Amino acid sequence: MPLPSSKRRQRPISGPKSQVQGSARTRVLRRRQPLPHSPHIPAPSSLVSIPPQGSHDGALSQIESLLESILDAVINGADLVIPYQTARSSPGVSPAASGAGGARQMTTEVVKFPGRNIQEVKRFDALLRILELSHEALLTGNLITKRNIYYQNTELFRSQSAVNDMVDNLAFTLGVGRGDLNIVAAARGLIAGPIDVMMRNGATVHYGHGLSGGNGNLIPPINSVDKVDFHNTRWLLVIEKEATFRTLANSGYSSTSRAGHGILVTAKGFPDLVTRRFLSTLHSVRPQLNVFALVDFDPHGVSILRTFQYGSQRLDHEENVTLPHLKWLGIRSLDIMSRSSIIMSHSLQDPQSGDSQTSQEFSSQGSLAYPLGSSDDERPAKRPKYNYPRDSNESVAPLTRDDRKKAVSVMKQICGERGFDSAGLEQMQELQRMLMLNVKAEIQTVDNFGDIADWLDERLSV
Amino acid sequence: MSKQYLTAHTVDQAHPTEIFSLAPTPTSLFSASGSSALRIHATTDPTFPLQQTIPNAHKLGCHHVCTARGGAGYVAATVGFGGEIKVWKCKDKDGNLGGEWALQWEMTPSSNGGKNAATNAPGRGRGVGGDVWAIALSTDESFLACTTSDGRIHVWDLAGRECIQTYETGSSGGGSFAMAVDLSRDGRLTASGHESGAVYVFNNDAGRLVYSLSGLAKPIRAVAFSPGGKLLAAAGNAGIIALYSVEHGEHVGNTKPSSDRPAWIMSLDWNDTGDYLLSGALDGRVKVWDPTRGICLATHSETDGALWSVRWLPRNERALAPGMSKGEMFCAAGASRSISFYREATGS
Repeated sequence: MPLPSSKRRQRPISGPKSQVQGSARTRVLRRRQPLPHSPHIPAPSSLVSIPPQGSHDGALSQIESLLESILDAVINGADLVIPYQTARSSPGVSPAASGAGGARQMTTEVVKFPGRNIQEVKRFDALLRILELSHEALLTGNLITKRNIYYQNTELFRSQSAVNDMVDNLAFTLGVGRGDLNIVAAARGLIAGPIDVMMRNGATVHYGHGLSGGNGNLIPPINSVDKVDFHNTRWLLVIEKEATFRTLANSGYSSTSRAGHGILVTAKGFPDLVTRRFLSTLHSVRPQLNVFALVDFDPHGVSILRTFQYGSQRLDHEENVTLPHLKWLGIRSLDIMSRSSIIMSHSLQDPQSGDSQTSQEFSSQGSLAYPLGSSDDERPAKRPKYNYPRDSNESVAPLTRDDRKKAVSVMKQICGERGFDSAGLEQMQELQRMLMLNVKAEIQTVDNFGDIADWLDERLSV
Repeated sequence: MSKQYLTAHTVDQAHPTEIFSLAPTPTSLFSASGSSALRIHATTDPTFPLQQTIPNAHKLGCHHVCTARGGAGYVAATVGFGGEIKVWKCKDKDGNLGGEWALQWEMTPSSNGGKNAATNAPGRGRGVGGDVWAIALSTDESFLACTTSDGRIHVWDLAGRECIQTYETGSSGGGSFAMAVDLSRDGRLTASGHESGAVYVFNNDAGRLVYSLSGLAKPIRAVAFSPGGKLLAAAGNAGIIALYSVEHGEHVGNTKPSSDRPAWIMSLDWNDTGDYLLSGALDGRVKVWDPTRGICLATHSETDGALWSVRWLPRNERALAPGMSKGEMFCAAGASRSISFYREATGS
């Protein structure tokens, strides 16, 4: 594979690299050599500070004044009140457009004790408990997970999703991000790559090329991060599927990529807030790091891509969580349409074709036919069972009814924004193609017996 | 024997995004694309000028446009990606036929599946499940057939604006996606092609299935009755065209594949005399076929981008311009966003 050196942006690659390329042509075992570090060209500093984010003080003082007002009410015998807005966005409103709460409907509520009914009493109790836990967390500087909150009193909180909703709505009411309350979700996203992360508590995590055991690859909450040393990394790839991430990380792709050193990230599917905030911050402190996304070619994949780019409606009030510069690397329609193994290739599977194709004449062939006869011998027309045809490549499949509905709903979302940009146009076109062809394809479509490295090399290098 | 065709003209960048469907009238050509506007180009002028643009026709883009094959050319129907069907009529100020195209009526998705009249009212007819995909107009421009992703075919009476027929091909909404539909020119028959590879023919007068045709195991993306109504052509992912006798319901043969790996055929069209079949495929090639012998007479391509739609232009007795031949013409469009016009090279 020719090295696209003319397309390299900044640093010319010296001798050792071309040796690697020579051996690459003859390699059979696909053992990749880690690329040496680039020669001594003065580079901008790879060590970047993460500015402290959010308003912890703001949250703390608001909670304290709220607790004070509750105490006062107890003393004076008045009703105890917790302000509580549940933010509901109308569907189809772009996350970007509703920053100032423009198109959103908000139920401005308070939760009182004594309440109107038993539900309100329980809700007050639950909210007060959450405030208490958050207050404690802010004072000690420790982080508490939503899971942890739920397990403090499962009977009171009823369900994990109830806790999640209450925490997010509280944050929204107080005008802060969830992280400012020192409440986080359990870590879910994974990261691998030659970077160092220095935490505010003094610890340093070196993420490395591969996967270390245990929790070594979890993405930390960005609030705990003090500095990041990016070393030589040029790109960051967000991958939808954990399995693909693991394969690449295990093979050390972050350092063996032809596109230079890079960082691999996965949120294991639908992006969570911690991963999104982490990525958004990384990009804002190091804009020269190219960020790419690798998702399945299906409506769900596009939805994941857009959530990374623009955020989700429910968590629209959170700041520093978007990544509008995220580029859609794949899987795209051209990956399916240009690969001869998929759309172009069909061994003639028509069971009746036989060898009549050698002549240029037709042979008359029988078929299942139910001719319209007289009413005497007419049979009710039988409706034959059908099988969804399985393409020769198992990673390509027809869209389901739900897939199609999802595609249309994502398209409506894209069109809802006032004058969508080139990324939105690109996504519209791909979704239209998806619907026209009625196919979806997984990331596995472009791999070579499970090895996606070659395909990535080509795409990341452009 | 092969035929010669020359590129007569190309309308470059006819749409800002790729073109998914074409439909000719005797004097013009409708084109629909991924962007929200419809375009109509005049086919009576050798430069094929833009005659009319209908902006904001379908917000999410339009995937099918149809006119009546062999019809007068005053009615057109379009389907958008949001599932809405719009019927257009060409009338002048006095209400006479001819002139500018304007919206006559619209069927929103919730009303598509219903049996009763549903003009713009979000009714809840039965079978609201599937989204509308392919459409076909009858030659007399009074009936519209449309298919849905749950394998149903609905036939609408345009004057009365009601659904007069629903054909089911699977147990209540479980049918295979009906990707293609056509009406015979005499209006008697409806044909549908499905993702399962099945082709069904229904008798509209009797309102029942008459043939269930197999032969292509892969998804069918286009079906077309020959003008005389004797043959039915079907094609799709298999990359070859299957031909069926309408009279006997028999598979009479397939076209010879062009290679080991023929590309998916997305569009089929018979010419006015029924002598030639046109096909457009995802590899960007448009082919003219001899249906009786199943061989390809001519192949053209402008790019290797996908061709979504190919159509013969209705035969015109007059030449396009003085000195030009009166050879038959066809057009093709797709991912390149341009519409290419080809004309038969005749000796004189």
